[in-house]
Amino acid sequence: MGNTRPDSNVMLRMTDIRKSFSGNEVLKGIDIEVRKGELLAIIGPSGSGKSTLLRCVNMLETIDDGSISIEGEFLADKGVYATGDKARRILGCTGMVFQQFNLFPHMTVMENLLEAPMQVKGMKRKEIQPLAEELLAKVGLSDRADYYPSQLSGGQQQRVAIARALAMKPDIMLFDEPTSALDPELTGEVLKTMRELAEEHMTMVVVTHEMAFAREAASKVIFMADGNIVEQGKPEEFFEHPREERTKAFLRNML
Amino acid sequence: MENLLHTVVLMLEGTQVTLEIFFITLLLALPIGLLASLARLSRFRPLSLLMEFYIWLMRGTPLMLQLLFVYFALPMIGVMLPDIAAALLAFTLNYAAYFAEIFRAGIQSIPKGQYEAAKTLGMTYPTTMRRIILPQVIRIVLPPVSNETINLVKDTSLIYILAMNDLLRVARTIVQREFDMTPFVVAAVFYLAMTFILTWLFKKLEAHYGKYET
Ligand SMILES: Nc1ncnc2c1ncn2[C@@H]1O[C@H](COP(=O)(O)OP(=O)(O)OP(=O)(O)O)[C@@H](O)[C@H]1O
Ligand SMILES: [Mg+2]
Repeated sequence: MGNTRPDSNVMLRMTDIRKSFSGNEVLKGIDIEVRKGELLAIIGPSGSGKSTLLRCVNMLETIDDGSISIEGEFLADKGVYATGDKARRILGCTGMVFQQFNLFPHMTVMENLLEAPMQVKGMKRKEIQPLAEELLAKVGLSDRADYYPSQLSGGQQQRVAIARALAMKPDIMLFDEPTSALDPELTGEVLKTMRELAEEHMTMVVVTHEMAFAREAASKVIFMADGNIVEQGKPEEFFEHPREERTKAFLRNML
Repeated sequence: MENLLHTVVLMLEGTQVTLEIFFITLLLALPIGLLASLARLSRFRPLSLLMEFYIWLMRGTPLMLQLLFVYFALPMIGVMLPDIAAALLAFTLNYAAYFAEIFRAGIQSIPKGQYEAAKTLGMTYPTTMRRIILPQVIRIVLPPVSNETINLVKDTSLIYILAMNDLLRVARTIVQREFDMTPFVVAAVFYLAMTFILTWLFKKLEAHYGKYET
């Protein structure tokens, strides 16, 4: 467990992750490994622990036991978290996109993008503005730089949220059901942005109910239920030939 | 007309005392109220319980009683304060408690996702509060803070009981001496003018902070 060989291609490794909420064990010893440039899709029924697992990666929740390493550095080693600068440096490698966007409503789109680089990295506005503009162009919202989040559609807001996370230049992006709060006709534009990111070899972990997206874009799919990984595999074999009964039942329900 | 001018000049001194109490109380009670609200929300139980007690005490007893207490009781235990300081102490403690409750409600109405987004972007707690939470809180608390501020204008007249020469006491002195009701009218006009200016100012502030919608 702790003596994992440093493998320079592994971006995120979680080993034997355990987590309880007041006695209720919601993660029962999860192992995952995400290599650089991979897109890991996590699927599973409601309450299976997908969000909790993702939120443990960036310390929005804390694990009870297990180890988490990002780019070979231990964020948590056998249940004990790194602290101070080390923790901050490791967490700085991660970016997160939420189901509810969580944009800063009192700031314009551009200000949302500039805020963290300026406040956290101490960059000057003119140092970060070019990247911010480039990211807005990438998510197709150059013409919305001066809008407030409330003036945008949900799909546009989520694309801004992706750009905002990217402005911190993370090495791994975490997505928690990024399209679940969107009207069906708006999910496409967000998934397209995510596909483009994947094509640029951004390492991504995506919790999603979008089976078509998982099938096409993922390098690997994990199916979770009741705090366990029930089955995992490459998307083709996972979706074409699921082995476990629970997986089959879940996939039948999703179609 | 000359008589009116004379009255107004006499009342200027009282106006000054009233304005002093108003502005200094506001200047002290707002930041103290903010700190008290953060302490009230602190996860350190003793601190938050202490603040809860302080707020309960200040909101649960009349401001008049608090004024009398500071004015008469403190000297008995050997704490001598100049009149104006005693009045300011009572007003500040009282208003800070009300502001603390307003700020607490404002802070708690900000969705948890705002803190989480700030955290995942690497922001520290102080940065998150200063840049993300408080600017949104200001917009929410402006209307209730505006209400309290206008209450304060009128509450300043309570120092009347401390035999300090505020606007109201000066007015009454003149009324009793000259059997002329004009000073009361002048006082009313003064309070109304203050309230009018404050209402206007807060409307401006609300417009400024309300540029965005949530
Ligand atoms: N802060 C919390 N306190 C207590 N229990 C929690 C907390 N967060 C999650 N849980 C519980 O942990 C379990 C897993 O929740 P989690 O949100 O990780 O599931 P999920 O797989 O993301 O579900 P969904 O698809 O509905 O988002 C659930 O039973 C949930 O009630
Ligand atoms: Mg979830």
